[in-house]
Amino acid sequence: MSVVSMDKSPSVAEPAVVLASKPQNPQVEALLLFLRNGTAALGLSMMAIIVVMCLIGPGLYGIDPYAIVNVPFAPPGTPGALFGTDFLGRDILAGVLIGGRPTLIVGCVAAAMTIGIGVLIGCMAGYFGGWIDRALMKFTEFFQVLPALLLAMVIVSIFEASLLTITLAIGIVGWPQAARLTRAEFLRIRDLEYVRATRTAGARDFYLIFNTILPGALPPIIVASALTTGGSILFESGLSFLGLGDPNMMSWGVMIGQNRNYLLEAWWTVSIPGIAIFLTVLAISLIGDGINDALNPRMRKR
Amino acid sequence: MRILAALTLALGLTTAIAPLPAYAGPDDGGSLVVASIGVARHFNGAIQSGVATALPSTQLFASPLQYTEDWTPEPYLAKSWDVSEDGLTVTLNLVDNAKFHDGVPLTSEDVKFSIETIKANHPFQTMLAPVSSVDTPDATTVVIHLEHPHPALLLAMSPALMPIIPKHVYGEGDIQTNPANMAPIGSGPFKFGEYVQGEYLRLDKNPDFFIEGLPYLDEIYIQSFADPNTLMLAFERGDVDMIPGLSSPRDTKRLSEMDGVTIDRETGEAIGAINWLAFNTKKPPLDNVLVRQAIAYAIDRDFITNTLLQGFASPDFGPIVPTSPLATDDVEKFDVDLEKAASLLDEAGMVPGADGSRFTLSVDLTQGNEEMGRNIAEYLRSQLKQVGITIELRATPDFPTWAQRVSTYDYDLTLDQVYNWGDPVIGVNRTYLTSNIRPGVIWSNTQQYSNPRVDELLLEAAKENDLEKRKALYAEFQQIVVSDVPIYFLNVVPVSTAHKSELGGVPSSIWGVYSPLSEVYWQ
Repeated sequence: MSVVSMDKSPSVAEPAVVLASKPQNPQVEALLLFLRNGTAALGLSMMAIIVVMCLIGPGLYGIDPYAIVNVPFAPPGTPGALFGTDFLGRDILAGVLIGGRPTLIVGCVAAAMTIGIGVLIGCMAGYFGGWIDRALMKFTEFFQVLPALLLAMVIVSIFEASLLTITLAIGIVGWPQAARLTRAEFLRIRDLEYVRATRTAGARDFYLIFNTILPGALPPIIVASALTTGGSILFESGLSFLGLGDPNMMSWGVMIGQNRNYLLEAWWTVSIPGIAIFLTVLAISLIGDGINDALNPRMRKR
Repeated sequence: MRILAALTLALGLTTAIAPLPAYAGPDDGGSLVVASIGVARHFNGAIQSGVATALPSTQLFASPLQYTEDWTPEPYLAKSWDVSEDGLTVTLNLVDNAKFHDGVPLTSEDVKFSIETIKANHPFQTMLAPVSSVDTPDATTVVIHLEHPHPALLLAMSPALMPIIPKHVYGEGDIQTNPANMAPIGSGPFKFGEYVQGEYLRLDKNPDFFIEGLPYLDEIYIQSFADPNTLMLAFERGDVDMIPGLSSPRDTKRLSEMDGVTIDRETGEAIGAINWLAFNTKKPPLDNVLVRQAIAYAIDRDFITNTLLQGFASPDFGPIVPTSPLATDDVEKFDVDLEKAASLLDEAGMVPGADGSRFTLSVDLTQGNEEMGRNIAEYLRSQLKQVGITIELRATPDFPTWAQRVSTYDYDLTLDQVYNWGDPVIGVNRTYLTSNIRPGVIWSNTQQYSNPRVDELLLEAAKENDLEKRKALYAEFQQIVVSDVPIYFLNVVPVSTAHKSELGGVPSSIWGVYSPLSEVYWQ
């Protein structure tokens, strides 16, 4: 019935088994395509390393990222401070390890929010059409014409800067793209024959939207959500750089924001968290491209 | 704005009138561009405090007295003055040749009017509060009657605090809405030229200034900058000649590495801004003096001044800036001692929990000040963790929110910068007097600190005309306040002036460049 279903039947955990057997269904085929794609596999392994480092890194390294452990601005390679220290003498490596957690959490949750709101609005607009479509699209346009960073800054400034408000702000400003994308896919799919057939068979709107059309519309949305995650991480860094980060969370963006004044005297205080952001967003982009290729029917024919 | 650099070169042509032959006569003419951060509400310093108003106001209006760099009063509009034996009358003898910019002579009536206006309207209520009446026996004599001796009065007659405004211009109607606030008529060395809202204020030389031969400059542009970075770039490009009130260590360092730039760091002592950490002394566990002392012992003030502020700010140990003649350094310094801090906390019954944390406190700070705000707050978090105090930073979205929280006692600790304004009566008392615990008023006694002996000392010192006795009273006050720790004093906020080195005669007064720029000249 669907090209990609949301259920967990094709096991991602056992690629070896799947590889050995002859691919039978489209999901397995897509997964194989994804894994055979070199850059996608690279992205996935980078991401896996980053996640593992953020999870167990702080525990293994054992240095409190808030403790003053050395002289301020100790350059990288100083004994006891591999990546150097910041303006207070805090260990940059400890900060980078712990900083991945809030950064990734904000990125993922904000992306989920963005996609969630966007897909919901896009579904409704694309499926029902008519005045619902017009109303929802006007609403979407309203958000689309507001400068995203400015709106997010306003939201964070009005409410206090915390992980929650930052995530909400990114989610609120980011969804219009996903909504337009979903709507376009729905407009394309809703009159296809299999949808008509299901409708004729007596399916209700709810079933048609979520079980019949949405699965067909998912591939571009999945790719978009990967890219949105990367975008959200950059957005959080941007807000933190402007001094609107959560001051009680050491995210990579907050590290950059706090040290940016010393960029010329101590490049490592800004560059190292910057590289961490770069690698993470790069990994996510590679994964997104890989998914795109794997789900693209034209690629499959090769 | 094109300021004619060529003018400087052409100066040799105009013959200097050579008024003060003490040094080789500076050349007349030229124009000066002074930067100002923020936009003044208006230019009438008689009813408005703050440096954005003081800078133009001190050029436009003359005042009874001026102050040298060593806190000595000097004649300005008053050629002499006399404080009576009992301290209850102060007599001023005015110069007889002072005229306002519209040609009307300045008389004792104007001085009386100005004193009454300032008393009724200026935000610094304590400055002239004891003045009961002002007599004007003749056109050049002013007799000020006081309810009790008021030693702060002479300092309150400085250009920054007591501009003499013309009665015939400001005497009619509500002074707050008087149009002359935006285009003032005074008797100072420069008169109002042109004002372009938010851009610049041009002041022109007053050719009839009552001090002959002054001012040297033809015009002064006070240019507004919304953002310090733009200002720095403008100065580096050479578009700006002088930056008053430079306090950021980073900017000071950046400018001091430039060629042809002089930075006067020892000016403006009277403004006396102190960067401090204030405690809400009514909120547990901060109501316990041992806890406050423990925090004081845990903080390394030298690290803040030498490392965070890169040596561009000096440490401050008490409520009166060290450069004031009334300051004492005989106070508890709280040299960093983590063991002592921990044992004080134990003594206060605040033992560490399972996670090593004794209790959590929040630190508030205003937005925008990174070097003396956020960086120090970050330092406090790291430093106080060592004695088991968890610090959370409370990001304040804007100034009104911060002011609202602090003035309604919804805070634990806050970083703040508060100004001495010359005499303790003007800028210090407000922070410590029990009678000044006023909910909703920022920069009142927001620590809710109350010590009857402190109240007694401050009220007594306010009336003591004998400098030595007054110093002794303030010394005891400083010792008590420092050991009670309603506030932990961090550093003096520098009020430096950066200017092009070709500029001579830059005021070295205790008020820095918030005093007449009449002797400034281009070399």
